[in-house]
Amino acid sequence: MESSLHAGSLLIEVEDRGEAGLRVVWQGKSSDRQPERVLEPFFARLVEDCATRRVGMEMRFERLHHFNSSTIGYLIQLIKEMRGRGIRLVIYFDHALLWQKLSFEALRVFSKDELLQIRGA
Amino acid sequence: MMDAGRYDFRIELPIRNEWENIERVRVSVLEFFVAVFHDVHGCRSLANVAGELMENAMKYGDWSASETHLYLRICGDDARARVEVQSPIDPAAPELGELLDTLAWLRATPDARAAFESRILAAAARPPGQAKLGLTRVAYEGGCTIEASVDGRTLTVLASRTFP
Repeated sequence: MESSLHAGSLLIEVEDRGEAGLRVVWQGKSSDRQPERVLEPFFARLVEDCATRRVGMEMRFERLHHFNSSTIGYLIQLIKEMRGRGIRLVIYFDHALLWQKLSFEALRVFSKDELLQIRGA
Repeated sequence: MMDAGRYDFRIELPIRNEWENIERVRVSVLEFFVAVFHDVHGCRSLANVAGELMENAMKYGDWSASETHLYLRICGDDARARVEVQSPIDPAAPELGELLDTLAWLRATPDARAAFESRILAAAARPPGQAKLGLTRVAYEGGCTIEASVDGRTLTVLASRTFP
């Protein structure tokens, strides 16, 4: 599966790495009022693909310049959905960017086992 | 204005109630702060504070009457900054009570990270689109204390912080 999402200032590119799963790279900015309206259908397809193939997903945020709290809200829903379906998710953020460090380190409250890892890169 | 080694600054803007204006102003505020301070991370935090407060004003304000603008005021010096957003509100709106409850809860929870983590866990149990993380993020990532006041149909939310 190769696909991408371009919505306003946000670009999300997907790379299919075969048995290694999907790599999802967030770029630009996510500042929509209701980001879930665009993100939910896009990620529903990716999550379904991971579940069918029994592979995991790697999400990279190092090239994301900004996201609003509504986007964090959607990420929480996505983490919950993937955990519920037993899909492994690894999140990478830019440790040198304080706003990313603070946001993603707080999301570690969901990182209870191997299903979710959040790593500073 | 420069005065005895201190840099005072002030921005006041009426902003049309159009969602796209939030990002325009947030980026402009960031550029403004970068021109004043060396600490880029702190500048980004304050710009994000302005962004989150403007988002709340547009989402939960009462825009049914003639009001078309919110007001953003940012002021401070090299030791402190205040970000204030003023918007129309329905005093009977449940969102106002929720805002005041959140601020009271934040005051009672001095560890801003613990507060944000608690809100993140609560958001997981809410319906999509109802995370309500903005104010807690302002306290945690922005390092701000937040106050709110209501005068008639006008809500003022003030986030303030000091610099080390």
